[in-house]
Amino acid sequence: MTWSTTRSRWVPALALLFLGLLGALAPVRADDALEAIKARHKLIAGVKNDTPPFGYIDDKNEVVGFDVDIVREIAKALEVDLELVKVTSPTRIPLLVSGNIDLSAASMTHTREREGAIDFSITYYTGAQSLLVPAESSIKGLDDLSGKTVAVQQGTTLEKTLAKAAPEAKIQSFRDYTTAWLALRQGRADAFTGSYDVLRGFAREAPGFQIVGGKFSLEPFGIGVRHGDWQLRNVVNAVLQDLWTSGRYREIYLKWFQVEPDVPIETWPKG
Amino acid sequence: MDFSVVARNLPYLVAAFALTLTTAALVIAGGTVTGVLLGLARGAGASAVRGAAMLYIGFIRGTPLLVVLFVVYFALPPLIGHRFTAYEAAVIGFIAFIAAYIAEDVRSGILSVPRGQIEAGLASGLSRGQALRLVVLPQAIRRMIPALFNQFVRLLKFTSVASVIGVTELTGATLAVNAREFQPLPLLAFLALAYFAACYALSLVGRWLNRRYAIMS
Amino acid sequence: MSYSFDWGVLWRYREALLGGFALTLALSIVSLMGALGVGMLAGAAAESERRWARVIAAAYVEIARNVPLLVHLYVWYLGLTTLKLPAFWCGVLGLSLYSGAYVAEIVRSGLQAVPAGQRAAGLASGLSPRQVLRHIVYPQALRIVAPSLAGLFSQLIKDSSLASVISVAELTFVAGAIEGDTFRTFEAYIGITVLYLVAVTAISQLTLRTLRSRIVEPAMRY
Repeated sequence: MTWSTTRSRWVPALALLFLGLLGALAPVRADDALEAIKARHKLIAGVKNDTPPFGYIDDKNEVVGFDVDIVREIAKALEVDLELVKVTSPTRIPLLVSGNIDLSAASMTHTREREGAIDFSITYYTGAQSLLVPAESSIKGLDDLSGKTVAVQQGTTLEKTLAKAAPEAKIQSFRDYTTAWLALRQGRADAFTGSYDVLRGFAREAPGFQIVGGKFSLEPFGIGVRHGDWQLRNVVNAVLQDLWTSGRYREIYLKWFQVEPDVPIETWPKG
Repeated sequence: MDFSVVARNLPYLVAAFALTLTTAALVIAGGTVTGVLLGLARGAGASAVRGAAMLYIGFIRGTPLLVVLFVVYFALPPLIGHRFTAYEAAVIGFIAFIAAYIAEDVRSGILSVPRGQIEAGLASGLSRGQALRLVVLPQAIRRMIPALFNQFVRLLKFTSVASVIGVTELTGATLAVNAREFQPLPLLAFLALAYFAACYALSLVGRWLNRRYAIMS
Repeated sequence: MSYSFDWGVLWRYREALLGGFALTLALSIVSLMGALGVGMLAGAAAESERRWARVIAAAYVEIARNVPLLVHLYVWYLGLTTLKLPAFWCGVLGLSLYSGAYVAEIVRSGLQAVPAGQRAAGLASGLSPRQVLRHIVYPQALRIVAPSLAGLFSQLIKDSSLASVISVAELTFVAGAIEGDTFRTFEAYIGITVLYLVAVTAISQLTLRTLRSRIVEPAMRY
């Protein structure tokens, strides 16, 4: 190897210039999602792979879950094939906005802030936030969290809600639910906060953990579509409502949560 | 250490290992071709082509692989209006990444061919292009075998990074099984062993090829 | 689909980015020292007279080099959970042991490249074998391999981005956090690309220049 560098010191400056030009480029407009879905005969849905029971990998190593069944129904109604794309909480909206997926059914809470980036379907599940701790833990509720480490997912409403509800807690965020759950199991975190049914899903996998703290904060889930995809959203809303009125929604709900759905899906008359 | 967790999930893990190997083969082939072309462009007389090649190489060599993958998978689609699946993004990212490194190896390989060879070629009546193709390049490639196989083994290891954008290659599959079964020790031992076997085998191939085809100077 | 750029997001999150950048540097520097330590030991052991030292060194180098860095990191973070090391130190261990194998190879080839006559002359002048190593062989080997070692630091800065996967809050992790908060994927990742470029170029220029003035030029004066 010689002493001369093959990287001149002008490369960063030129690279910056290039990126600046790139940044000024007018981005390409994509087709209407519904048209694209019909044209390629396939619905590309973003679902979780690490969030039981909404989207996770079962012991046959397949992706299953509540969200997965819902998008299967949507694909069936549209009479197209289904492709599942793995998303995590931090990536579920960026992948949607960037066009990598047509819709995002990823245990996603509908918030006003997120409406600035995407559009939501009607609420198809209402959850609540809670805490998961080891069975022998001294933590019984939000008040016991001061000074304790709480694992949470990046890019979720859970992080902000917990910060408000337990300001003394030490919040550690992780890229996905799996690493956050592993942190609790390994003892790197004292508690794990997440959606109630998700925590139940994790607790089922591993004995020795319990849910404490009751349910705090309301988490209405919605399916995400891009701004402007009103046609796709209408289809999704119609499917959700039909699932409710036909009783199929109740079947799916019971299958994954083992309890009756407590919040009905709003239905609108056809004409 | 109880390896039953590996045994139970073996079909899944082996399928993922197969994906790792085929992906590696794909990006090795694609990366080498792209790298050779880029290396030739880097040495090209015409300054626009050469400048662009230098810019690209300098850019990639200063960027982590993971960031290249993220840019291809997440950041590029809105700009070019075309989506990539995670697998496509990984393959494109790996090829784009390794080409910049192979290009530099190609350049040193070409430069290491003694000047006398080119002069002899030109004196025998070959054009510059023919001299390059028939005299310089074959010798350069033979000299580059150790460096190239270094990059190939690197690529095989790099395929593990595809797990971060969701490709279910060997590392991703092993982690998924661990997330469910929580038996990290046997699973990670298996993971390390599998990569070790594959990489070591590949480096042995490189060493054998080098012994057979290297130019003794 | 419309996507309008908002580069201001990088400015708004400048504190987080600077924090991530600082951690990237810290991770790289500590791992560099670890890698140099382990690598020099292994490289010297590989050239040792004693067979067991050579075998252990060779085994370490082959194992560390033929296993992906990501797997190294997971082994420390997930595998050896009984140690429950903080993520940062898992990152350091993984990076040090992985890069240490490369340093070992560099050191070994450097030691081999020192002409045998040097060693013989040193012994003939009455120096003990250990003195010969310390004052004659190692300094020359270091000068021979200095350019390769300069590349190591830049490589570590790039490799440190994988530590984001085990939740070390370095630069790539911060980009992910910004993306999760603001959904500004393009800006976040292009932003850190530029930061990595700047870091790597500055470091390699600095290292080469220091090595040139401190080691190469003094040697060339003779």
